[in-house]
Amino acid sequence: MFPTPIHQRPIVNQYIYKIFLPISLIIWLIPIFGILMTSIRGLGDITAGNMWGIPSEFLLFSNLYDVFTNTPMIKYTLNSFKVTIPTMLGAVALSCMTGFALANYKFKTNLIIFFIFIAGNFVPFQILMIPVRDLTFKIGLYNTITGLVLFHVAFQTGFCTLFMRNFIKALPQELIEAARMDGASEFRIFWKIILPLTRPAIAALCVLIFTFIWNDYFWATVLIQGDHAMPITAGLKSLNGQWITAYHLLSTGSIVAAIPPVIMFFLMQKHFIAGLTLGATKG
Amino acid sequence: MKKVIISLIMMFGIISSTSFAGTLVINTDTSDAAPKKAFEYIIKKFEEENPDVTVKWNVFDHEGYKQSIRNFLNTDPPDVANWYAGNRMLPFVRAGLFEDVSDIWKDSGWVDGNLSENMEHAKKSMTIGGKQWGIPYTYYQWGVYYRKDLFTANGISVPKTWDDFVAACATLKAAGITPITIGSKYLWTTAGVFDYLNLRTNGYEFHMDLTLGKVPYTDPKVQAVFDKWDELVKPGYFLENHAALSWQEALTPMVNGEAAMYVMGNFAVAPLKEAGLRDSNLGFFQFPEITPGIPMAEEAPTDTVHIPSKAKNKTDAKRFLIFMSRADVQEEINKILGQLPINKNSSVKKGDPFLKAGLNMLNNAYAMAQFYDRDAPAQMASEGMKGFQEYMSNPDRRQKILERLEKVRQKVYK
Repeated sequence: MFPTPIHQRPIVNQYIYKIFLPISLIIWLIPIFGILMTSIRGLGDITAGNMWGIPSEFLLFSNLYDVFTNTPMIKYTLNSFKVTIPTMLGAVALSCMTGFALANYKFKTNLIIFFIFIAGNFVPFQILMIPVRDLTFKIGLYNTITGLVLFHVAFQTGFCTLFMRNFIKALPQELIEAARMDGASEFRIFWKIILPLTRPAIAALCVLIFTFIWNDYFWATVLIQGDHAMPITAGLKSLNGQWITAYHLLSTGSIVAAIPPVIMFFLMQKHFIAGLTLGATKG
Repeated sequence: MKKVIISLIMMFGIISSTSFAGTLVINTDTSDAAPKKAFEYIIKKFEEENPDVTVKWNVFDHEGYKQSIRNFLNTDPPDVANWYAGNRMLPFVRAGLFEDVSDIWKDSGWVDGNLSENMEHAKKSMTIGGKQWGIPYTYYQWGVYYRKDLFTANGISVPKTWDDFVAACATLKAAGITPITIGSKYLWTTAGVFDYLNLRTNGYEFHMDLTLGKVPYTDPKVQAVFDKWDELVKPGYFLENHAALSWQEALTPMVNGEAAMYVMGNFAVAPLKEAGLRDSNLGFFQFPEITPGIPMAEEAPTDTVHIPSKAKNKTDAKRFLIFMSRADVQEEINKILGQLPINKNSSVKKGDPFLKAGLNMLNNAYAMAQFYDRDAPAQMASEGMKGFQEYMSNPDRRQKILERLEKVRQKVYK
């Protein structure tokens, strides 16, 4: 078992652990704490330089009200769902199939195709900014939710395929061979045997992709121009005034934007942690 | 980019080809909350007063508009478009894309069109080649915002001349207070200071010549501006770490009583008041005189409406421009915007001393500069403001900076 559980370590290490764990936790949580505090404040406190002190007014509800009334925040949130859920379904569905094929069939270019999928993960997406923008524009999908979804599906499928392929590869081959002996068609094998067995992997993948896509800011700003398709992460900037950066509203809006992935995480916590290690250890 | 624009144009082509007589197409960049609300209000009011006209209003993103206007003016112009006064409209006027609306200004039979009297002070910034090219509907003043209580505590009265101003800075500095706060992280704040120093040292005409690229940056008159600036920068009268702060963050020392003055636009008042300053301890004064006898021009970025020369419905467009110039309409728009009406017969929200002071100052101004980044072309403005910020951090590099700006000038204004 790695890492060694802390209570089996020397006593000195245990004390060091007990001292530094809270300290590092606090350091990690300070920014989030700052956002929470700022979301309660009014702009006055911020201008007066009262960033970390006790807020002079409790304005969380009025900030929330402003966030939802000053800007089309509800529309942005809906857009986020419209982007995230189809992407999640699309990427996971495709990768189940590619993963199955790459794990089970021996053909000449198998490894090469697999490597192409993996290599896709290593392309920094900033490089793709201009070509992808051009491409979506030429196809006529620029500034549409469909365009954003299709791109996300294409880009996420690489990682998902790696994940699913390794998971399916680790399943006992005998199951598939037995099914074949019984005369099941390949599709039937995929549908009746592989899919049920990969349920934990699919769940983990869904959670991962949901959070990835929900938190995407870069592509939303590259591929979307108007309010009609803007997801919430990019829509937050509309909370700023003409002259003023409204830090208090931005903080409140960020918290609102963070709620769905956080809920998703807590509901599917088990799968999420399993998901992070699944692809890494098998293969 | 080009393709995006073409598709936008095509989109608008479809929209506007469905328009019929009595339809007035208005394009604006009022994507921010308050300006959007103001336009919603006036368009509704205009439609109520002119039931025969239907307004089709397209709101563009504020930043994107700067690109899109170049294209829609050429290919598929609306009947009215909003834009900015002064040199910002020069390229469109030169290219023949804006309609000459001098007749509205001259009161030639248009009801309520007596603008030459009501907006005389703003006429210069709307005039190119002796003609007027649009109607201004809102602006706001720039000047010096200061802490009254800090002035009183140190026995300083509102400075009218440059010597008084420098002396006031010296007194404040000696008392351990930063005389002038500024946040130059995003550069533009430095241009406010430069503009005023130039307007006061050399006057409006020279400032316009400089921003139009007719004068080299190495000109002795520009040097004279920096001599004045030296008097503030070298003794350290500006906030020390200004390059690390946004304009908004630089408000904090003023709120906390650590800094006394801010050369800023009137939009600074709202956050300052929200942070606890009151009319009793926050004041405003006009940027002091430097060269005696030079008429006082002010910095007042002005928003305007124009008729594209290729507009289809110019009759109703003119009705709209006249409507926008009316005292009562400007009063309402600017109540929503929290800014100043240009029409002299408009009043401002009662009980706001800053708007009142601004109105008073601008109504009597010799001319209006539009701010460095509107008066100078974008490329020059961005290099210029970089130079100003560098100078404020390292005043010794002044000569090198000016030589560099001169090189940029020669490239930009070819």
